[in-house]
Amino acid sequence: MKIVKTKPELCNGCGACMTACSKVLYRVEDPKKSAIRIKEKAEKSGSYEIFVCNHCGECIPVCNTEAMYQAKNGAVRVDDKKCVGCYICVGFCPNNAMFTHPDINEPIKCIACGACTRVCPTGAIYMDEK
Amino acid sequence: MIKVNKENMEYQEGMTVEDVLQKKKYTFRMITVIVNGRVVPKDQYATYMLKDGDNVDVVHIMSGG
Amino acid sequence: MVENVIEMKKAHRLLARMDYELGKVQKGYTNRTLYINLCDNTIKSKPVTQQMKDIFIGGRGFGLWYLWNAVTSETKWNDPENEIIISTGPIGGITQYPGAGKSLVVSLSPITGTVIDSNVGGYFGPLLKFSGWDALEIQGKAEKDVIIYIDGNNGYVTIEEAPEEAVDSHLAAEQFTAMYADSEEDKRNVAVVSAGRGAENTLIGLLNFSFFDLKRGVPRLKQAGRGGIGTVFRDKKIKALVVKYTGVKGDTNGPADKEKIINAGLRLHREIHDLDKVQNRMREVGTAHLTEIMNDYDLLPVMNFQYGSHPDAIKLSSDVFKKYFTQGLPDGCWYGCSMACAKAVDNFELKTGPYKGQKVCVDAAEYETIAGLGANCGIFDPEYVIEANFYCDTYGIDSISTGTLMAFVMECYERGIINKEITGGLELKFGNKEAAMELIHQMGNGYGFGRIAGQGVRRMKKIFVEEYGADPGLVNDIGMEVKGLECSQYVSKESLAQQGGYALANKGPQHDEAWLIFMDMVNKQIPTFEDKAQALYYFPMFRTWFGLNGLCKLPWNDIEPADNGLTDEPAKVPEHVRNYVDIFNGVTGKNITKEELILQSERVYNFQRIFNLKMGYGTRKYDIPPYRFMGPVTKEEYESRAERYDKQLKELGYDIEGKTVEEKIKMLREYREDQYQKLCDAVYRRKGWTPDGVPTLETVKKLGIDFPDVVELISKYQ
Repeated sequence: MKIVKTKPELCNGCGACMTACSKVLYRVEDPKKSAIRIKEKAEKSGSYEIFVCNHCGECIPVCNTEAMYQAKNGAVRVDDKKCVGCYICVGFCPNNAMFTHPDINEPIKCIACGACTRVCPTGAIYMDEK
Repeated sequence: MIKVNKENMEYQEGMTVEDVLQKKKYTFRMITVIVNGRVVPKDQYATYMLKDGDNVDVVHIMSGG
Repeated sequence: MVENVIEMKKAHRLLARMDYELGKVQKGYTNRTLYINLCDNTIKSKPVTQQMKDIFIGGRGFGLWYLWNAVTSETKWNDPENEIIISTGPIGGITQYPGAGKSLVVSLSPITGTVIDSNVGGYFGPLLKFSGWDALEIQGKAEKDVIIYIDGNNGYVTIEEAPEEAVDSHLAAEQFTAMYADSEEDKRNVAVVSAGRGAENTLIGLLNFSFFDLKRGVPRLKQAGRGGIGTVFRDKKIKALVVKYTGVKGDTNGPADKEKIINAGLRLHREIHDLDKVQNRMREVGTAHLTEIMNDYDLLPVMNFQYGSHPDAIKLSSDVFKKYFTQGLPDGCWYGCSMACAKAVDNFELKTGPYKGQKVCVDAAEYETIAGLGANCGIFDPEYVIEANFYCDTYGIDSISTGTLMAFVMECYERGIINKEITGGLELKFGNKEAAMELIHQMGNGYGFGRIAGQGVRRMKKIFVEEYGADPGLVNDIGMEVKGLECSQYVSKESLAQQGGYALANKGPQHDEAWLIFMDMVNKQIPTFEDKAQALYYFPMFRTWFGLNGLCKLPWNDIEPADNGLTDEPAKVPEHVRNYVDIFNGVTGKNITKEELILQSERVYNFQRIFNLKMGYGTRKYDIPPYRFMGPVTKEEYESRAERYDKQLKELGYDIEGKTVEEKIKMLREYREDQYQKLCDAVYRRKGWTPDGVPTLETVKKLGIDFPDVVELISKYQ
């Protein structure tokens, strides 16, 4: 499967990826509802870190409602019907690549759709084999 | 002589924090070791040498059921 | 199974039904209580008042308030007026913070004669609230076995005669879960409360609260163990309470400010993820990690609390149990608990009893059970502990009381106070696991010596003295109960503060009020009476708060932030206290401080103390433990720590040259009993109580619990 890969050194922090993502996931343009996050490095302005899920699946066994699963295409997904919004998966994510928002009961998580990579002007994110 | 949790312990040349923990059978993991008022980081227990007269506090966090 | 339960359900006879409007949880409350009387099959809704919320908060506080109003000072545990109240509390049911799904159960106890509270996991309390009820208050007694069913999606409650389902909990939970779930996926939405045959045949009956384990495909059981509430349950002829609610989400508890809760929860999830493996390993072995620690610090009860360690204790260590516990499963007893300490042994083949040969999933084993049924009885066999744990749970008897009373029986046997004739042939020596297992079956099934043992330590003392001519001094010194409740599993002999932690506890010697042994005996942080009194003020108040809110104690200090040791007061875990303030405010929309948190507890704690007074207890003389809590009763005990005791006597200025062990025991006892009295003086002062241990009028006024009947009652003791 193809997942979102990153070259943080190319990122200019424009945030287009976050807007595109929240639009796909929740039909709003709100970076706080995005499954990809850009963060400026505290120690170096103009330099960014990119947090996005690599579909490693470590969240699957920690869930006690069996809401985390691997979809047919290989992406790790959340079954909203089963999820009770405890966010253990968010706290246990080894890459800090899952997010929360008080309006959304389930964790916010990348579905590997690629929408963010299509709007990235610098090539800092792109789709590639896992 | 050193003091460990307010009790006397025989000082031996070259003894480390780790030695004191073993001697006292302090096997509990949630402890903070303070030598003469300064916290010793966990990763230095094996290398931190004590001096004669040192005051060692091994503070165990409460636990239990 | 499915066909079976269809038949069983057909045999139900409807006694009463109430339809109700579905409630909505607002800021942690539904503002209603479900009241049921089994004498006349009343089912009704009662309002939860603002005063109840302000003063009693929820959970155990609500239980105490309802029970106070339901009983008189003459009421006995088996009178129809006695109640069982179950309530979680405003925070109970949030899914974002570990340990937030507890139910608190309150009743008059068969073994203590006064009020008891027990804190238990499982899904019942939260699903009850989401069904529209902050509390369930059950009064009266049924004529035949009944169940109470609450349908939280369709809005009705029924009382039904249920003759055919099993009484034993591992079966009852499975049958009722299958009966009320629409499908396999739906099973997680059903929660069952049940007891077992042993709850009918002993006074130490417990309640099992189920939660459906999706990975294992079985209902798991958590226990409201202490004080015999299961015995009350079966005396009321309740076979089970069943609640069904589908649709738990992250905001079902109606929080005022969800973000506060999410942030606190994420901080703790990350801490547990990063640090649990180097701290207590709760995710791997649960509380079983304590066995070797207690053994190393001479605190593991061995052979009826005579000793604090044993060379064979290694056979009960967490590494041994880890091999039995299935690893890598999300063992939380409510959603969102990443501490996941509810360990289980899968496919365990039973070797004895009515289920011999069957393979079962055992919710085993926690520290208390390992220490109580194992080390305290001189039995160092993990498979015995697992099997005994299974039968205690399914029979519905408290494994902590069972361990302590078994240890007492064994010491009495070894000392010749009782013999084979009295035990019906059981050779109840320390270490005899076959005899111990047989006694558990006798207790569960109500025959033989089990009928005597099942009455608990306090009643056994009386029987052994009156009927078998035992020396009252000795049995009173070695029978490890206070207020009638059997002691939980820590040796308090060398920690004065912990003697107070046990014997001053409102419900009896359970460590859920205060566990101070490390602070006191190891760290030596609280040397003076005032220091100890302050600890015996702060920690019981702090810990009472968990029970008002539907919380578990473990995520407070069985995990700590990496820099906790650098804070001013590491024992309090200041960052986690901040979390609790945040989640309370996040749910209720209030703006309390950590000082107000303590005040909330202080009201309820003092009220419970006064409740004891109402029932004829609650004064100084009921706070005095048997001597074994304080020091060595026998020669062997003294000799096992002779160096320590001799040194202490010398430091105190006693001349011990040429003195016999008996003489030294007497000197030490004189000293320690006097110390304990001085501790009581200091603690009562700190808590705002009279020298007889009764809250002063000033204290109850300050706390706002000066209800007319409270004032009238305590006025007699001022």
